[in-house]
Amino acid sequence: MIKLIEKIEGEAKLNFNFKDGKIDFVDVEFMSTRNIENILRGKRAFDALVINPRVCGICGHAHLIATVQALESCYDNLQLSNKAKAIRELTLNFELIQNHFKWFYLTMLPFFGYKQQILKATYPTQLMSKAIAVFGGQYPHTSYAVVGGVVCEITQMDIIKIESYISQTLKFVEENLIKIDSKTLLACKDADALLEFSGDLPDILREIKKRDMINHAKSYDRFIAFGENSFFKKGKSLKRKVSHSISLKDVKETEMPTSFAKNVSYKEKYYEVGPLARAMVNKTALIVDAHKKYDDSLYSRILARAYEITELLNYSKTLIKNLDLAEPSYIEPQLDISKLTSSGYSAVEAARGTLIHKVEIEKGIIKNYEIITPTQWNLSGGTREKLGVSQKAMVGLSDIKIAELVFKSFDVCSICTTH
Amino acid sequence: MKTKMKILWLSAISCNGNTHSFLNYPYMEQFLDDFEFIYHPVIDSKYLLQDIVSKQIACDILLIEGAISKEYKRADVSIVEIIEKYSKIVQKIVTVGTCATFGGIFRESGYENASGLHFYQEKKLEDFKYLLDKTISLSGCPIHPEILANTLYAIKKSATLRLDNFLRPKEFYAYTVHNGCTRNEYFEYKVDNHKFGELEGCMYYEHGCQAPFTHGSCNKILWNEVSSKTRVGLPCMGCTEPSFPRQNLFSTKKNMSIPESLPVGVNKRVYLTLAGITKAFKIDRLEKKLFDD
Repeated sequence: MIKLIEKIEGEAKLNFNFKDGKIDFVDVEFMSTRNIENILRGKRAFDALVINPRVCGICGHAHLIATVQALESCYDNLQLSNKAKAIRELTLNFELIQNHFKWFYLTMLPFFGYKQQILKATYPTQLMSKAIAVFGGQYPHTSYAVVGGVVCEITQMDIIKIESYISQTLKFVEENLIKIDSKTLLACKDADALLEFSGDLPDILREIKKRDMINHAKSYDRFIAFGENSFFKKGKSLKRKVSHSISLKDVKETEMPTSFAKNVSYKEKYYEVGPLARAMVNKTALIVDAHKKYDDSLYSRILARAYEITELLNYSKTLIKNLDLAEPSYIEPQLDISKLTSSGYSAVEAARGTLIHKVEIEKGIIKNYEIITPTQWNLSGGTREKLGVSQKAMVGLSDIKIAELVFKSFDVCSICTTH
Repeated sequence: MKTKMKILWLSAISCNGNTHSFLNYPYMEQFLDDFEFIYHPVIDSKYLLQDIVSKQIACDILLIEGAISKEYKRADVSIVEIIEKYSKIVQKIVTVGTCATFGGIFRESGYENASGLHFYQEKKLEDFKYLLDKTISLSGCPIHPEILANTLYAIKKSATLRLDNFLRPKEFYAYTVHNGCTRNEYFEYKVDNHKFGELEGCMYYEHGCQAPFTHGSCNKILWNEVSSKTRVGLPCMGCTEPSFPRQNLFSTKKNMSIPESLPVGVNKRVYLTLAGITKAFKIDRLEKKLFDD
């Protein structure tokens, strides 16, 4: 039976195959692509900074940061101030946070018997958008990160404004998402303790237990994250065993005959990316505890994404405190891009997981550009013999509505998947 | 109970940037009391996309986001068929964003004849010509949420909007993005040594800023109620214009050291005369750092 999954930044078709009343295979089809990689070919390299945020309306900022880092990796000895690095990290954090709020209040809540909470989604996301706009001028679709740094100069008053947006957002979290002081939450190491609190997240977690969905949506229990920064570590986790030596060279993209979404594997195996993967690689105590108790289930996946909001808000405060305003925002590259023939790549942690950009330039013109999005890792379809990550999570379920919840728990973005 | 105006938000070849920009509208609570989405890409609606394409649901306004091509389908139905069906019953059509208006970035997406509803860049198209009287264009990549929301309120009030040649409300598009930029003095006095990462300087002379010849209200109605691209030091990319995206966006194309694109309505002679005068003076305050010790 084919079901059209809607409101996932486009649509996807899931073709459910049943055996003895249980799903034994799901064919995942993404129906269209916008050929972004073709659009980029032949363009000036810096123009990618304007085109690529338009890959996606909800995570376009990650595409900007991936683009600028890929272009910068084409240079030898390019200088970048710590201030510019920290500012880029901050705006990317803010984008992740706005995304997670939208996913939680617009997509997840309605599966648990609640109405979609539009205002609870828009209030905190607007605060995060404002924080990005202070640095980048607007959100979505700024191109404020350029090769050599960021275009903005930051003043004390800008910092004060951004601190207010962060505090106000934390307050929202403490009064709505999990009604507990965020310091206590960040110190919490017991995934079951959350069930005792009130708030929209514990409500959902309790509901998962009540509805006996606690063991749903387990996949391969293999996680990977490539986008290293001052908060996220690079590495893979297999049954809670973490290794940090991984190489992008082992990442392979394969075309699929029935869908525009290409598969992505690491050493021929499918890995899950995203907040749960990041937390496993970072060994975040609360999430590792959830994983010990409930594996890579729906419970762990939802908790990890929502918890990342508080973590990133809190860490953003640290980043701001450590900003040295006396440093330059921008250091002009020594070499004009029109004289540069080179290739490079980048990996950043976007809202949905590892995003990879690869670029080849010839005298400043883009010869080739490749984008591997997080949703390709999680949502592209595999075969019956070798299921994709989300396919594996859906197999064994008997109810299509629950399968849709499981699919959407990975935070689907159709337009990114096919780009 | 008061009747809400019914909107169909239809995405074509897009990035959903307008959808997410709209979610930044600050008075969403009131907006949702006044309008109802019969379908929206993110907000829950009474109908499924499958209902929208297979039936004809009552609707007052059709919003189109993204570039349009016969080849592009939603729920297995060509976007052109969906537009044809709903355009007949709605009072107004609003093309939201630059792709739906002029083709934008996704006119290059590889779909057959991808374009805006009425325009392929500046060229007026024959298809949908009969809908010209119904359409309002809101270009911008993405659209500013207030411009979209307030245009919808104008439709609701049946207010008469004066439109430009591309069907854009003059109230928003008669201005240039340059109007209200905090870097204006550097432009006026032709201080042309702008560097990224500084509060000072104008990006028009070297870094490709298109604000003086781009129609829009970015520096009048600030983004996210906070700032704008040019205020923070990012050149205007001309995203409301039919030509978006031009090539070589971070660099000002010049002929004999004169920018190829001059401010709207300013001819070369006027520009050269003014430039000559301002260049004759050196204004210390504008040569120094803004926060001078």
